[in-house]
Amino acid sequence: MRRHYDLFISILFAVTVVAMSIALYLIFLNAPEEKVMGAVQKIFYFHVPIAAVTFLSVFFLLAGAMGYLWTRRAGWDYLSIASAEVGLLFCTLVLITGPIWAKPAWGVWWTWEAKLTTTLILWLLLAGILLSRAYASSPEQGARVASVLGVVAALDVPIVYKAVDWWRGQHPIVFGAGKTNPLAPGMLSALLTSMLVFALLYALLVAVRMRLAAAEDRLGALEDAAWRSQ
Amino acid sequence: MKSYDFLFWGYLVVWAGLAVYFVALMRRVANVTRRLDTLEARAKAKTSPGTT
Repeated sequence: MRRHYDLFISILFAVTVVAMSIALYLIFLNAPEEKVMGAVQKIFYFHVPIAAVTFLSVFFLLAGAMGYLWTRRAGWDYLSIASAEVGLLFCTLVLITGPIWAKPAWGVWWTWEAKLTTTLILWLLLAGILLSRAYASSPEQGARVASVLGVVAALDVPIVYKAVDWWRGQHPIVFGAGKTNPLAPGMLSALLTSMLVFALLYALLVAVRMRLAAAEDRLGALEDAAWRSQ
Repeated sequence: MKSYDFLFWGYLVVWAGLAVYFVALMRRVANVTRRLDTLEARAKAKTSPGTT
């Protein structure tokens, strides 16, 4: 079973590397340069897919949290652990790539507008999930608290997504009703390929993290059994 | 906006962040798997003491 899972991870890794090479070609060599912002706009091919994958990871975090609260099965908790950790990584990258674009486009690294602030709240919630697991008095208590926080983090996602519509602000709208400038075909294919790449990367990282969580669980149980038998 | 140095750093941050996390994750998996294999081998040896 473990060998099959490792083979799956290896295949996923190979597919991700190939897709990533295609995406980099499309982004840097095929997609036209945006007339107003020039090369700066290319960060958008990373920032938008990473933000989308952050939302995806919170969706799986919610599924894992609800599944665990409902069934108390470890598999759901592994999904929750993996999604929270990988989601925090991607949310961190969103908060880094955003200001890199904002500084030349807006003239400031950060502004306390709704979209950015709610994204920061999401980051804090994801960090809180990892901290609640790390400092809980027992793994079960940690899993329970993390699951509840996971549900709260999921409630923040639609707020982040709709923040510009609800409170306005400077943040551009890439998808949705408020979008005014359609993307050029070369830009759209680069963006969609980049989305696929980051989704594959997310699946790869979650698969590896779930494997680690399961192995750590098994290790803990074996160490307990060995300690009791002494 | 003549210099694009910040873009280089932007891309570097994305890939470096992902690569560091992936490598750290694989090292943790390897470490836990090694400890797990050792414990399982020990447990197996205990349950079948007759075999050499």
